[in-house]
Amino acid sequence: MRDYFSFFGGRALPFVFFLFAVGTRAEAEEEIRFNRDVRPILSDKCYRCHGPDQNARRANLRLDAELEAKADRGGYFVIDLDNPSKSELWTRITTADEEERMPPLSSGKSLSEKEVRTLLRWMESGAKWEGHWAYAPPVRPSVPEVQSPSWRHNPVDRFIGARLEQEGLSHSAPADRRTLIRRVFLDLTGLPPSSEDVDRFVRDRGRFAFERVVDRLLASSHFGERMAVYWLDLVRYADTVGYHGDQPYSVWPYRDYVIGAFNRNMPFDQFTREQLAGDLLDHPTREQRVASGYNRLHMITAEGGAQEKEYLAKYAADRVRTTSSVWLGSTMGCAECHDHKFDPFTAKDFYSFAAFFADLKEKGFYGGNRWEPQMPLPSADQEREMTALEERITSLEATLSTSTELLVNAQLAWEDQIREQDEGGRLVWEPVAPSQVQSLEGASLRTLADRSVLAAGKNPEFDTYEAVIAAAERRVTAIRLEALTHPSLDGGSLSRGGGNFVLTNFKVEKTGEEGQSAEIVPIFRAEADFSQGGFDVSKAIDADEKSGWAVDGGKKKENRKAVFTFSDPVLLEEGEALKVTLAHRSSRKQHNIGRFRLSVISLERPGLQEIGLPAAVYQAALTAWADRGTEEQLLLTNYYRERSPLLDGARSLLSSARSNRDRLEREIPTMLVSQSVEPRLMRVLPRGNWMDDSGEVARPRFPAFLAGGLIAEEPLSRRHLAEWIGSKNNPLTARAFVNRLWKLYFGNGLSKVLDDLGSQGEWPTHPELLDWLAVEFMESSWNVKHMVRLLVTSQTYRQSSVAGARLKERDPLNRLYARQSAYRLDAEVVRDVALSVSGLRVDRLGGPSVKPYQPAGYYAQLNFPKREYQADSGADQYRRGLYTHWQRTFLHPSMKAFDAPSREECTAERTRSNTPLQSLALLNDPSYVEAARAFAERIASSEGNAEAKIRWAFHEAICRRPSASEVQILAELFAESQNRFAADEEAARQLTAVGQTPANSNLSPGELAAWTMVGRAILNLHETITRY
Amino acid sequence: MRNPEDIFIRRQNRRSFLNRSAVGVGSLALASVLEPWLAPVQSAPNSKRTQKARRVIYLCMAGGPSHLETLDYKPKLAAMDGRPMPESYTKGQPIAQLQGRELKCMAPQHEFQTFGQSGQSLCSLFPNIGKIADEICIVRSFHTEQINHDPAHTFLNTGTSISGRPSMGSWLWYGLGSESENLPGFVVLTSLGKGGQGQPISSRQWHSGFLPSNFQGVQFHASGDPVHYVRPPAGVSQADQNRLVSAINALNRTRDEVVDDPEIATRIRQNEMAFRMQTSVPELMDLRGEPQHMLDLYGTDGADGSFASNCLLARRLAERGVRFIHLYHRSWDHHGDIKKNMRIAANEVDRASAALILDLKQRGMLEDTLVIWGGEFGRTPMAQGSGRDHHIRGFSLWLAGGGIQGGIHYGATDELGYKAVVNPFHVHDLHATMLHLFGIDHQRLTYRFQGRDFRLTDVHGNVVDKIFA
Repeated sequence: MRDYFSFFGGRALPFVFFLFAVGTRAEAEEEIRFNRDVRPILSDKCYRCHGPDQNARRANLRLDAELEAKADRGGYFVIDLDNPSKSELWTRITTADEEERMPPLSSGKSLSEKEVRTLLRWMESGAKWEGHWAYAPPVRPSVPEVQSPSWRHNPVDRFIGARLEQEGLSHSAPADRRTLIRRVFLDLTGLPPSSEDVDRFVRDRGRFAFERVVDRLLASSHFGERMAVYWLDLVRYADTVGYHGDQPYSVWPYRDYVIGAFNRNMPFDQFTREQLAGDLLDHPTREQRVASGYNRLHMITAEGGAQEKEYLAKYAADRVRTTSSVWLGSTMGCAECHDHKFDPFTAKDFYSFAAFFADLKEKGFYGGNRWEPQMPLPSADQEREMTALEERITSLEATLSTSTELLVNAQLAWEDQIREQDEGGRLVWEPVAPSQVQSLEGASLRTLADRSVLAAGKNPEFDTYEAVIAAAERRVTAIRLEALTHPSLDGGSLSRGGGNFVLTNFKVEKTGEEGQSAEIVPIFRAEADFSQGGFDVSKAIDADEKSGWAVDGGKKKENRKAVFTFSDPVLLEEGEALKVTLAHRSSRKQHNIGRFRLSVISLERPGLQEIGLPAAVYQAALTAWADRGTEEQLLLTNYYRERSPLLDGARSLLSSARSNRDRLEREIPTMLVSQSVEPRLMRVLPRGNWMDDSGEVARPRFPAFLAGGLIAEEPLSRRHLAEWIGSKNNPLTARAFVNRLWKLYFGNGLSKVLDDLGSQGEWPTHPELLDWLAVEFMESSWNVKHMVRLLVTSQTYRQSSVAGARLKERDPLNRLYARQSAYRLDAEVVRDVALSVSGLRVDRLGGPSVKPYQPAGYYAQLNFPKREYQADSGADQYRRGLYTHWQRTFLHPSMKAFDAPSREECTAERTRSNTPLQSLALLNDPSYVEAARAFAERIASSEGNAEAKIRWAFHEAICRRPSASEVQILAELFAESQNRFAADEEAARQLTAVGQTPANSNLSPGELAAWTMVGRAILNLHETITRY
Repeated sequence: MRNPEDIFIRRQNRRSFLNRSAVGVGSLALASVLEPWLAPVQSAPNSKRTQKARRVIYLCMAGGPSHLETLDYKPKLAAMDGRPMPESYTKGQPIAQLQGRELKCMAPQHEFQTFGQSGQSLCSLFPNIGKIADEICIVRSFHTEQINHDPAHTFLNTGTSISGRPSMGSWLWYGLGSESENLPGFVVLTSLGKGGQGQPISSRQWHSGFLPSNFQGVQFHASGDPVHYVRPPAGVSQADQNRLVSAINALNRTRDEVVDDPEIATRIRQNEMAFRMQTSVPELMDLRGEPQHMLDLYGTDGADGSFASNCLLARRLAERGVRFIHLYHRSWDHHGDIKKNMRIAANEVDRASAALILDLKQRGMLEDTLVIWGGEFGRTPMAQGSGRDHHIRGFSLWLAGGGIQGGIHYGATDELGYKAVVNPFHVHDLHATMLHLFGIDHQRLTYRFQGRDFRLTDVHGNVVDKIFA
């Protein structure tokens, strides 16, 4: 094995580090280290023009590659090893001539005096070079010794402790047990401990009391939830598509996969493989295919006019940015338009990386908001129900297609009927001029020569027509309604309401000739030659008086017809007639049919055609049985079966089974997943321009400088990518992950730029520790819980976060870890703490995202479709913050106020702001007001007098006992609020009525309101939302 | 000086920092991080440039108004009406909904006339803007890179179509701080018109991206709570709320004495600011104190969420020291019946846009208020049925006040109004020019993110000084 130290120049590392904002280092005595001291200067100030990007390179000089930087440039050297002060670099950074000096004025960059000194001393001392630390494979360094006995057990403490000893600093005392247990609960589960948890730990004086707590928390299902919060930021998980209309899509099963993976402690390499290529694994499980939804979490568009190719390019670039950031801690996104300015990624690397994903089945533009491919994820119950329904449907379909004697006889009778009516000239829809017709709203209705009826005169908003048709001594089986265009209607259309109509009700009654003594004729079904989407003709005979039949008549000015078939034929005696009512009572004004015609027929179950039958069926029926061909016979039989009254029962059962299946299909959750198809051809896009096809073809390939000899196998797939990323040969994956874990428990990364381990990132404060952890992670088989346990059981972790003035001045950012850090909780956890303390929290692992209260009208700027946010009722109102519906373009305002990211892009580190909007949310968001009220009920029913209750409440929320002055402040608030609400009971009722859970009616509203004010105060404390 | 760590350290040693002389924008930006939402006016940038503008009012005509029916008259296009669009213009160019369709010229659908002493040419649908023609500079060579609404707004606001970058309002607030003690430095108001379909607007458009999130724009609403959660819960009076906030801060102070955490001091100030906002925001939004002649000038009956009332609110926000006021009027996406829809949309904005300029002027505020009027893109000279499609190669906007020369025009499109051919004015140029008017070098206002110094203008942008007064 390679000696660790050789990588850093063959010497033991000096343990004295420059701490940038604190000028305490004795600079002169210290040795210059290339990676720590020189590379950051060259990278930031020089690489833009003298770095990896060949197109931006000036003077044909690169300072990121040793050989070229030190090469003989025809008589002079940029870095002259023999004669350092003759180096061109030396001259250019020391000259007083502004024209000559580097970096040039126009770059906006300049070197500080100290930076110049560093570069000169580096050249003087031989200009020693090192490869970039993060690109060399991590090697496990030896663990240093420390003085302090309690810091000898955990390697983390030995690295941290040794460095502190070097710096002449001593570590802080352990945090008190109450602070510590609250810290570790919040860090590992995102939830505060209960009072019992706190008391038990405070009493437990056993040697491994803390370790026991840690193990318990690691075994809790809340651990996975807490880890998911961070992971979901990285992979930019959200519940909506992000672009334009920001419509919802179903990817929450992926979120549950992440929670489950962390809870089961899935090895991180497997976790990596399943997300990037779960669908390509051998015999992928349902879960692995869900995991592959990772590749589909980017923003997608359904904006009309979006260009397919442009958006495919956007998605491809997004995947490269995100994947390189999530796993490699690299900013490959910078190489989209040109070679990377600071790191050795080329534009070719960028598109070759993108090519790994070119096999995904996807579209650039998703019309109709159909995000595909979707994978159904039925529960066991749903699966059973679906099987049963499928069986039922099959069996009913069989019934409908099976011949019986009864059916055959009925068909023969029907055929006779056709022939008879044909001979009698009655096999035709016969238009009937109404004997009476009127508009109930005063329009004038006139019967035209073709027996149609035209509306004119007054144009009522919602009209109803009544027409009486006499068809004496006739058997009537159905009525056909024709809606006809007319020049007098809007633009020669079908109505005087813009051309369209909505027929909301079609009713037929049997009456005397004058329309008296009506008797309803039941209508069996309605069919039409055309119905506009959402306005099916069946809506004209349903129970809903507002819904109806429409035909898009504003755009389509065409005649339409509909047939309304009676349940039983009606025989009209002399003096009897049919009264037909056409109602137009939708929400659309003047959508009344402008011209209509009614026809009758005697054929059983007639169709829309003029003769009530399709021509081919008619021909077949007239042909003698023996003369029919097989096809003709089949045609006739099938047509008859579709309409035979004998099969009405089976047909109706089939239709309800089918609609049950459709309902079930809608209920079964789905997941947008990866599906591999023939890869698209990827090209390097010159300057990132998607319209430029002139670039060279890019096939899947690992970034050359990282992967070395791994390029042999062709062609490479996503699965290869997944394996390479999750392999020990990759120098970045483990480092990126442990660095971020460290941040979760100590506040900063060991290398603080969490999404850039490259040249512009930070030289780690503890490079040996970072590498030790990376190796430990890989050699523990990528065991996440092992690493977490290692970090949080360290003495470093257990220190107090309170620092004295000297330490604060010496190490203001706590990069040496002589104490713990204190910081505000994440947005989700702020919510979880309030829900927990109030007792409202409902624990349910996973499931569709939930909708807490949100200000009305917040989605008013959204469209396609417009939408109204419906807050959840019941248990889902009180779920943990991580389950909150994540609307990318309009994230929940309270979440946003506390810096939850929109998750449009990968977020490795949230900002932690401190704003008035946070105060407003905690004070006035109904979720927090309701939590304060529920908390108040718990306070009021706790034991003792007001002061005792206050002590109890304080301890519940913050896990420590309040000081006398703290009790006094709250007692005064309580007393004053009591007076105030005693005087205004209505106000008390209003305050305690906020939220869906009813207030406890055993408490007087005034008392409860006063305690609610105390609850609000406690939930608003900086300490409540801070991890110390 | 710009790293968050510096800020943290300075917070710990606040006094010593504030005593240092502020030089350049970096330290100013720092000051506003230190005291979020506030940077003292007296520490205006010590730069060679002079600061002309102190605030921006951006009247965004969302949906993409046609330049051919607003600010850019093309007689040749009228002559070509109905004839095929020459392929030399359109070949290889991006296109939105007209993909694969036959491209035919469509004449300007409304007349143009000249206005003011300067003789500016404007569409006759805008007689009131015509009355302030001598105050405005019309740019007819604007161009952008994104052809769909959502990314085009993102590009116009952040200089890139990739999400997660700060919007110009956030940059400006970050760079210069706010002059208001009671209001955020970046406020957004929206209105929905009746012209065309109401294209969605994402809150990404006023996001602070990677800048500290206290620089996010805050949306004010005409109905409901004007700012989310600004109203105390039912049953809680201002006095109750005051008592509560006092108790919270007393407890926070008690804790601070033990742990000495600078974040607590900040939290206390933020609580106080939040409490003040509970009064200042409703006061701001209450137009009942405005005299009738003022309501008439803008053409509004009061705070009704219309563009007109938002313009009046914009002036009130400007008076109170808000740095960037961004109005969106969603009414301009005219794929069909552009003739009618232009009339509708123009009528919705003409009077109030002009009123804002007149009102600012009479208050002496126009000279240091930069007003910008325009959309995220323009529309094709080609017909899309009775409307026009999205168009990015050349369109128009106007600017006024804040150091801009009135009564002039700048740049031009070709004779069919397709491409900006004279003095093309890119979105990056608008950003560079805008920052310049604030005394900021657009190349120097940077923020380190993912190892790179990001700018609003990315690696582009030219200051167009020809339009300066």
